[in-house]
Amino acid sequence: MRPILSIAGTTVGEAIRRRVLLIILLVGILFLAIAPGLSILSARQERAVLIGLTLGVIQLTSVVIAIVLTVYMIPNEIERRTIYTILCKPVQRWQFLVGKYLGAVAALALMMAMMTVVLIVVYAIQQQVYSPDQLAPLAKAPVMFFVQMSLLAAVAIFFSTFVTPLVNFFLSGGLYLIGSAFSSFFESISQSANVQPFAKGIATFANMILPNFAYYNVQNPLINPQQAIQNETVYYIQVTVYGLFYIGILLVGGILIFDRREV
Amino acid sequence: MGAAIETKNLTKSYKSKQGGRINVVDHLNLYVEEGEIFGFLGPNGAGKTTTIKMLLGIIYPTEGEGYVFGKELGDMEVHRIISYLPEKPYYYEHMTGLEILRFYGSLFGIKDDDLFKSLLEKVNLAGDMTKTINQYSKGMQQRIGLAQSLLNDPKLLFLDEPTGGLDPIAHIEIRDLILQFRAEGKTCFISSHELSDVERICDRVAIINKGRIAKQGPLDDLLKGGRIEITATDITEAFSKTIQDKDAIVSFSHGRLIVDLPDDHNPNALLDAVRSSGGTIVSVIPRRKRLEDLFLETVSGHDGSSVEIPNPNDAKEGAEA
Ligand SMILES: Nc1ncnc2c1ncn2[C@@H]1O[C@H](COP(=O)(O)OP(=O)(O)O)[C@@H](O)[C@H]1O
Ligand SMILES: [Mg+2]
Repeated sequence: MRPILSIAGTTVGEAIRRRVLLIILLVGILFLAIAPGLSILSARQERAVLIGLTLGVIQLTSVVIAIVLTVYMIPNEIERRTIYTILCKPVQRWQFLVGKYLGAVAALALMMAMMTVVLIVVYAIQQQVYSPDQLAPLAKAPVMFFVQMSLLAAVAIFFSTFVTPLVNFFLSGGLYLIGSAFSSFFESISQSANVQPFAKGIATFANMILPNFAYYNVQNPLINPQQAIQNETVYYIQVTVYGLFYIGILLVGGILIFDRREV
Repeated sequence: MGAAIETKNLTKSYKSKQGGRINVVDHLNLYVEEGEIFGFLGPNGAGKTTTIKMLLGIIYPTEGEGYVFGKELGDMEVHRIISYLPEKPYYYEHMTGLEILRFYGSLFGIKDDDLFKSLLEKVNLAGDMTKTINQYSKGMQQRIGLAQSLLNDPKLLFLDEPTGGLDPIAHIEIRDLILQFRAEGKTCFISSHELSDVERICDRVAIINKGRIAKQGPLDDLLKGGRIEITATDITEAFSKTIQDKDAIVSFSHGRLIVDLPDDHNPNALLDAVRSSGGTIVSVIPRRKRLEDLFLETVSGHDGSSVEIPNPNDAKEGAEA
């Protein structure tokens, strides 16, 4: 456990100093801060629009950070040979990979927490609402985004064990788009009666194996129409467990590949 | 004393640019005794780093096997008692010297700031331990690398080109540290293509070229077969032609004669002949063979040396080639 935590800690330290990531984060925060000035709608609509807009900014920023952070992580370690000084110590490869992953997730948590704080502050000032009871629920969506980004980071770490950063960028990004936008589409096909069995089979298969990023877009009923959430807490727990399960599978797969590859 | 390292036909092949596969390390049979400083010498691209990585279990052999302290390559128990200083290493730039040692120490479960500070002192970085690595010079980075390689008080150190790209003073500092390791009873496996570094400190060396061991043995034995250079003046050209020894290298011009003899030839007969022909002996200089010469003649394939240290495993070599 000790090596995993040290590797994770070092990874966080490095991540929060990477200039590209800081710039992306700053741009995100800047958009959050100016969001209220952009809303030109009536006062009644303003609240919903403001929330939708700022959450969208957080999500988009987080996706970019998650991908940029993780696709280079393993290749950089190999290129700079830092990995050699680690793997020649009593550290197993799976410990290294898990440490790197946890570090990425922790760095993401840190950056997303910062953005969430900015969002809450902006909302409080704009809406003149200062009671914690009213502000706290604003963090719910970012928490779900965090689970989503953790899943995305696991996808990218998995690919980074065998493809180059550039290929990984498109693979992970593509999978994120497909998993966010089309998984409900696959689901509806697989459940619809008047579709050919073959297409239905493919849709069911795609729906089963693709990571369903749409589960976490709880604030966006447009993207996820038939997701009628009855019990919020149960739903959150379910999709989090789904995420953890999927992350586990990706990490095990990544470890199996990484264990065999040359570094 | 037992073997610290032993390999049997250790081989690594990669895809070559022309297609097909090439043995970058080719049926290597190494034997490193515990407690010795072993020089692993060869030109760039000879396969030194590849061999070390296999011995550490970072990459996997295509063929053959190896043992470090009797255990299979990559054994985690072995990783507790060895260490590695990679070629041109890089350390996390945002960390200070002390943080680097804390990080690598934690990989062994070591949490001992006193130890870390004493190691920093040992490599002369005590004054710079709060500077971040990106403020370190190359030599300082190499020294922090050495400090991290000493964290677990290793029994065996792999040093890959430890003086590569360093200035002469840093060379000497590193060399002194390596000598200190030997005094502490540690085994050192040093790869290098710069012979001046290892010449004075290695007990035994292996010369590797194109993945194969060209020579392996105690340095003293390999360096046998030096030359003696005899210079004389007032010599006639006729006399210079009378020198029969076919191992001698004779040069003559304007009455000046230089004869280069293998050092196991007795020079007395020649000296007597020079004197009785009316010549004057200017100098007789014994030249011990330098590692440089041995290296060059081995690597270039013109092996003028009469010494071949048989490797107990050599007989097996070639069978699989
Ligand atoms: N991953 C690899 N893929 C293909 N060829 C490699 C790889 N690693 C090393 N080589 C080749 O193996 C040879 C030996 O390399 P190396 O062991 O680094 O030599 P040395 O350390 O003696 O300079 C070189 O020709 C190098 O190009
Ligand atoms: Mg090398």
